[in-house]
Amino acid sequence: MSLIPPSAPGAAQKEFKPRLFWATGVVMVSFLVLLGRLYQLQILRGDEFKGKADENFVKEIRQPADRGQILDRNRRVLVDSRPSYDVTLTPYFCGKQCDDVLSRLATMLQLTPEEVERARGQLRGAKKLERFRPFTVKIDVRRNELDQYLANEMDLLGVDIVATPHRNYRTGSLGGHLIGYMNEAGPDELKRLNEDVQTSGSGQGPYLLGDYTGRRGLERKFERTLRGIDGKERVPVDAKGRRKDDADALIPEDQRLVPSAPGKNLVLSLDWRLQEFAEKTFPATAGVVVAMDAKTGFLLALVDRPAPDPNKMSGRITPAELAAIHSDPLQPELFRAIQQHYHPGSTFKAATAVAALEEGVLRPTSTIFCPGHFQMGSHRWRCDKESGHGYVDFTHALGASCDVFFYQAGAMLGADSISKWAHALGLGTPTGFEITGEVPGVVPDEEWHDKHIAGGYQRGMAVNLAIGQGDVNVTPMQQLVFYAALATNIVWKPQVVLRVEDPDGKVLQEFAPQERNRLALKKTTRETVMKGLLAAVNEPYGTAYRSRLEDVVMAGKTGTAQVVKMGAKRLKAAQVSYFERDHAWFAAFAPADDPEVVVVVLNEHSGFGASNAAPTAAAVVKKWLELRAQDALERAGPATEKPAEERPQPPPPPPPLLPAAVEKPKLGLAGPPGGRPRG
Amino acid sequence: MADVSLAAMPQRRPFQHFPWHLAVVVLAISAVGIWNLASASRSAHAPVWISQTAWMGVGIVVALGVTLVDHRAFQRISWVFYALVLLMLVAVLVKGRYVMGARRWLTFGPVNFQPSELAKLAVALALANWLSGDAEKRRDGYGLFGLVVPMLITVVPAALILKQPDLGTALVVLCVGGTQILFAKVRWKTLALLAGVGIVGVFLVYPHLKPYQKKRVETFLDPQADALGAGYHATQSMIAVGSGQGFGKGWGQGTQTYLSFLPEQHTDFIFSVWAEEHGFVGCLLLLGLYFALVTSAVDIVGGARDRFGSFLAVGVTAMLFWHVVINIGMVIGLLPVVGVTLPLMSYGGSSVIAIYAGIGLLANVGMRRFVN
Repeated sequence: MSLIPPSAPGAAQKEFKPRLFWATGVVMVSFLVLLGRLYQLQILRGDEFKGKADENFVKEIRQPADRGQILDRNRRVLVDSRPSYDVTLTPYFCGKQCDDVLSRLATMLQLTPEEVERARGQLRGAKKLERFRPFTVKIDVRRNELDQYLANEMDLLGVDIVATPHRNYRTGSLGGHLIGYMNEAGPDELKRLNEDVQTSGSGQGPYLLGDYTGRRGLERKFERTLRGIDGKERVPVDAKGRRKDDADALIPEDQRLVPSAPGKNLVLSLDWRLQEFAEKTFPATAGVVVAMDAKTGFLLALVDRPAPDPNKMSGRITPAELAAIHSDPLQPELFRAIQQHYHPGSTFKAATAVAALEEGVLRPTSTIFCPGHFQMGSHRWRCDKESGHGYVDFTHALGASCDVFFYQAGAMLGADSISKWAHALGLGTPTGFEITGEVPGVVPDEEWHDKHIAGGYQRGMAVNLAIGQGDVNVTPMQQLVFYAALATNIVWKPQVVLRVEDPDGKVLQEFAPQERNRLALKKTTRETVMKGLLAAVNEPYGTAYRSRLEDVVMAGKTGTAQVVKMGAKRLKAAQVSYFERDHAWFAAFAPADDPEVVVVVLNEHSGFGASNAAPTAAAVVKKWLELRAQDALERAGPATEKPAEERPQPPPPPPPLLPAAVEKPKLGLAGPPGGRPRG
Repeated sequence: MADVSLAAMPQRRPFQHFPWHLAVVVLAISAVGIWNLASASRSAHAPVWISQTAWMGVGIVVALGVTLVDHRAFQRISWVFYALVLLMLVAVLVKGRYVMGARRWLTFGPVNFQPSELAKLAVALALANWLSGDAEKRRDGYGLFGLVVPMLITVVPAALILKQPDLGTALVVLCVGGTQILFAKVRWKTLALLAGVGIVGVFLVYPHLKPYQKKRVETFLDPQADALGAGYHATQSMIAVGSGQGFGKGWGQGTQTYLSFLPEQHTDFIFSVWAEEHGFVGCLLLLGLYFALVTSAVDIVGGARDRFGSFLAVGVTAMLFWHVVINIGMVIGLLPVVGVTLPLMSYGGSSVIAIYAGIGLLANVGMRRFVN
């Protein structure tokens, strides 16, 4: 309490009075000085400063950033940017002549009526200070149109040419679904995108009206990564928007140019050599070829047909072309690998086999007699081979794709058991692949049937399910995961982006293989199923015997998915219209004893799996193993000169296998019988 | 005798003498500030006026909190607070966040703030405490020896802030401390001596200023010499202010604002936005509000019941006054460009909170002038 000297109210006042008097004086004088100066600047010299303000504008010219490149695993450029030019117009600077300027631009750049109308709307809509904001009249202007503009530049007030890198999809429609494309963001989307940008703290600027954004595929998924940071150039201009030559003196040098920063690059796990080979080899009008590194779950090739050309989709597409794409019965906009359901057909029998062995309803040595049909109650199911297969075991049943064996197994298992094991193998649930829009697939159990089928679950439904018909639906990507699981016991999350790099190639982020599940199957189960899958390719009775490989042992399974309910008599493909033909499946992996690659082929509406899917799969497997051997040789060669400094390539050095394949690159794909049957 | 019995009496209606006119002026300036920020931040894609409004909400709560406690409680903790702020000022030099070449920010969880904003209040509190107890013994004014402690109280935080570097805030701290000391009465001879030393000191310190700081002083002395470099701010802000003329270009119509001629337009140069868009008339209004703010504060100084209250009110008043004068003086080319905010107009959370806390202290002193 001693710190506070007792004092009467107002005691302070008396002491401070003279000082308060001075203080008030200082305050009043200071404010008067400020006011006087404001009077001088705003009233006395107001006109002078107003003139300066009206004659001096800073025009900010955007310097759009390069978008990140997309590379394959060997750093081959799949997508980059090419130089291009956009033409913009700033309403304030063309002033009263805007309409005139616009009509001259229309002639010069051959604007469509829609483009002209749009620009008119922008001109009319720009109020007050918005009139200082340039808007895009035409993107991606050709060189000769540009020359014409440059010749007339003086007359065209408010027009700017902005060098804008335009996306260049070097691979065209190949891989189009996976890579995706870009187009203009709508007004609502702009708002959402800009909220994202703000919360991300990435330093990226806002999206402006007319900006492009990744619309599909990787372009969309990795929008934030690929997008760069726009720069800007600040140019002093006069009231007509003309650059002032003498007036570099108006803007400090360090504020004249903010350079743009390019986006980050994506390195994919695809090997474009394999992709191109698969594209060439695949005869289908519509369908999917997808190959995976069995040891990591990363994709090696992904053919998805038909696909629109992303170069077209990103900008220069006419409404008529777009309408044609929308109305195409082949649905080129559908990313079949993950967005379309198909019956798996006989490829599903491997799942039924796993279920039967694990549930113990059949033993590895069990045999079943196939008379060519299966009878349950009053219903009769036909086997693919009308004359019947006779006594068959698992090996023979999978190899020759006997339906009756699996009808029987299905009847014994019931839908719940089959569904349980199919789910464990990765079917009936999204694979988690990076690209959005994946459909989940269906592997129905009893409850599903009760819910979705009038009359509820019947035992016969399990019989259909057992051979991959009825209500089971899968995507090609799920099939890939399923067969990779059979090959390695690992249910992979399929991935396609290996890493993110900065523009100098420094690795910013690396994606590790992701296991969704590890199977704990009985040893005998694995051996039994494997024997069957080997027989299908390597035994003379096997359905894919003609596609066996000479130098490597491949295991696989054919499938034919019925599109239209089987009639009384099986018809040849040529006798049925395209959209009623069956889908051909083939799923395979190799080498069988230590699988490195898994391939799934789906050839839509082509008929029988063995003849229309297996050859492509076999060729892709062989090509991949060849490429690996070739790369290993090349790496072994110059390795003595270039020591450890080099970054290890994403695929680990392959074991020294298949020297024969390298020496004899021109092997027949479907060689003569008697190559190397095994199993 | 009367003192003792009155001091024991509970305060029944603490808000009976609440300085309502002060509150009205502060809220009016705050509203004008938000409205003006909404215009200034049009070209940026982050509408800062929204967060400014939120900060002002926090500020009002802080101010009310501060008024509720008798200011003599603040006297008791003034040293602790001062020590804490010094500690933070050291911490900011060691591990502060770098923004544009200066370490001014400390991060606590999600909150970033500038301890230098608190330093102004800390100095005001600590000096008020020292001077109110000390000056009693020096009725005939401070001599050189007696000034050692109060000057140290002022100079130490100012030096730490200068080191960040933040010349503007350091300057304000010195002005706050200097004003308080002058109020405690300094002998004329001592004052003359100090002024002499100060002038010599300027010539000694000047060679040690950062190049950009030197440049600013030089530019101030001759703005046209370097219209592009350090003079850029001054030239551009004078064009903006002058082009506002009598009535201004209207809200949201300032071309100099919109076309980003003005750097730091929503912080230190916010006044130029106001001046461009609302002209001389608008400036007259805003200066009027600030004048009302400062004179009500001066009024509270005179009406304070105890010496601590008086000195504290002097400190806060000085803080408000110097902020306004230095900032506007800089924008209209009367003073060199130093980074000083315009209270309640400039964007910035730390600054808003500090100003509101100061206002709370003022109101606190003001409403207890007749109690006990």
